Amino acid sequence: MANQSMRRRSQGSFAVWEARLPLILTYVFLIAGAFVMVMPFAWMVSTSVKPDREIFGDTIRWIPTELDLQNYTDAFEQTNMPRLFVNTVAVTAVAVASQVLLGSMAGYAFARLQFRGKMLIFFALLTTMMVPFEVLIIPVFLLIRFFPLAGGNDLLGQGGTGLINTLGGVMFPNFVSVFGVFLFRQFYLGFPKEIEEAAIVDGCSRIGVYWRILVPNSKPVMGTMALFAFLWSWNDFLWPLVVVKEDSLKTIQLGLSVFDQEQGTAWAELMAASVMAVVPVIILYIFLQRFLVSGGLTSGLKG
Amino acid sequence: MSLAVSERVAIKAEGVDWRDRIYRFYNSQAFVAFLFLLIPVLLLAALKIWPVFYNLYLSFTRYELFEPPRFVGLKNYKYVFTNKTAFQSIINTLLFTIEAVPIGTALALIIAKLLDQSIRGRVFLRTLYYLPVVSSVVVSAMIWRWIYSPQHGLLNFFLGLLGIPPQHWLNDPNLALISLVIVTIWGSIGSNMVIFLAGLQDIPRDVIEAARVDGASSLQNFLLITVPLMRPVILFVVVTFTISIFRNFGLIFMLTQGGPFNRTNTMVWEVYQNVFGYLRLGRGAALSVVMLIIVLILTLISFRVLRERQGA
Repeated sequence: MANQSMRRRSQGSFAVWEARLPLILTYVFLIAGAFVMVMPFAWMVSTSVKPDREIFGDTIRWIPTELDLQNYTDAFEQTNMPRLFVNTVAVTAVAVASQVLLGSMAGYAFARLQFRGKMLIFFALLTTMMVPFEVLIIPVFLLIRFFPLAGGNDLLGQGGTGLINTLGGVMFPNFVSVFGVFLFRQFYLGFPKEIEEAAIVDGCSRIGVYWRILVPNSKPVMGTMALFAFLWSWNDFLWPLVVVKEDSLKTIQLGLSVFDQEQGTAWAELMAASVMAVVPVIILYIFLQRFLVSGGLTSGLKG
Repeated sequence: MSLAVSERVAIKAEGVDWRDRIYRFYNSQAFVAFLFLLIPVLLLAALKIWPVFYNLYLSFTRYELFEPPRFVGLKNYKYVFTNKTAFQSIINTLLFTIEAVPIGTALALIIAKLLDQSIRGRVFLRTLYYLPVVSSVVVSAMIWRWIYSPQHGLLNFFLGLLGIPPQHWLNDPNLALISLVIVTIWGSIGSNMVIFLAGLQDIPRDVIEAARVDGASSLQNFLLITVPLMRPVILFVVVTFTISIFRNFGLIFMLTQGGPFNRTNTMVWEVYQNVFGYLRLGRGAALSVVMLIIVLILTLISFRVLRERQGA
């Protein structure tokens, strides 16, 4: 290596450029690509702070001549943004808490406990990872619609509307994720057994071992799970669309999609509302992205 | 929470004690497993296992929600494969896949390969490429609708600079599917790139270094060493990417609603239409079953490929 670079230096500026060319081309390609990836978001932000005459002008203006934050207040009021936020935060918080808790409990059972039927249950769950939610939308919808003793239904699920048009209905399919169960199982399998054994010798019960030793030591895997659960729930669209009819129960994605149809070409307000919907996710992503990358390999297997 | 050792020793010394028995039951592996698995397993059985079978049952019935399902044999499947719109949705899904997957996968692999060097700003660039994955499909669709807008859209403006007349992207039967493909590729490069970056870690550096010393160019290195060694990862990405296209509902709902002239009517949209538009649950279920079978075949291929990779 040292020899090579010395030779290069002695061959004059052309050789230096030739040696650097691959790196320069790499940068040109990567930066051009990154520009294409980010441009739509930049354009969204740019549009959201522009007065209409600049949006519909003859030229493209990336940086507006004057800031028009009126679009944000308009969008805020027209979409009933506080309501959308409260609903989305409620649905997302329940999904995150429940998927972390149930995932870690089930993961512990599969990783550490011996019981009859373990392999059978395990492989049954493994198989369900292959089934995307979209193809089960009809039976799950019927399950929610005919949910016993909810929304005026009797014990057999007849007579009312079940969990349709309730936040509980939106939450129901997101209480547990198979992906989470496997994520935690994998993590606990790699956890040193000696610590647990020492605790058991000292008289700690199994539940105590789980609660006092495993749970406090699973922060990385809980972070990964929480971030995935957050993204799925916050960005979920099809299921809330199917369940919720009433405006006061809509999540932010749903409110946004309807706003789009109602407002037609009010692009400035639409983009302002989009910014408000995406900013929490991007902030969280920037702070927690190290968790995403570690779990990213299996992200295609969401179940 | 638990009894102290000294206490339990004391109990044992007393002989058989009910507290000891209860504790032993409470602390048995079977009881703890039952406690920890009861809720997750019940929920998953209700949400993931039962629906597969109930969906299969519904696909053989005529069901419009207000009367009980009525058995009709294979009629719904006949409908799926002979009705023009329904069958078109299968074709459209395949077209969508063929147009998006090869280019999207190739781009993600090239970007991953370029980002897999120790160059300055690589973490930052990775973050930028991943951004569209984090954004919701509704927000992404909204932004692209605005970019595709015929009158004041950004894309037509750029084309105008090149002297190309404005296009009606999402309303043009010949361009609508391509427009969706562009958004899909844009939205998926980040997640596919992350999988490729993980795969690239497994390629031994010395192989590439040796080829370089022997005079192989970067391009030769990429095509003759990286791509063949990454073959299992590439196949895995192709399969998961394809499945994500099968599942892609939001984009179609937001951008084209299956139009114009059914050109973007994919299977997941057709299922939604049949169920929540026309209340023909049986037909929707039959199409779902067809979709599930295709997805299962693709997933089994990807599992096989992954296992091969681990064995190698």
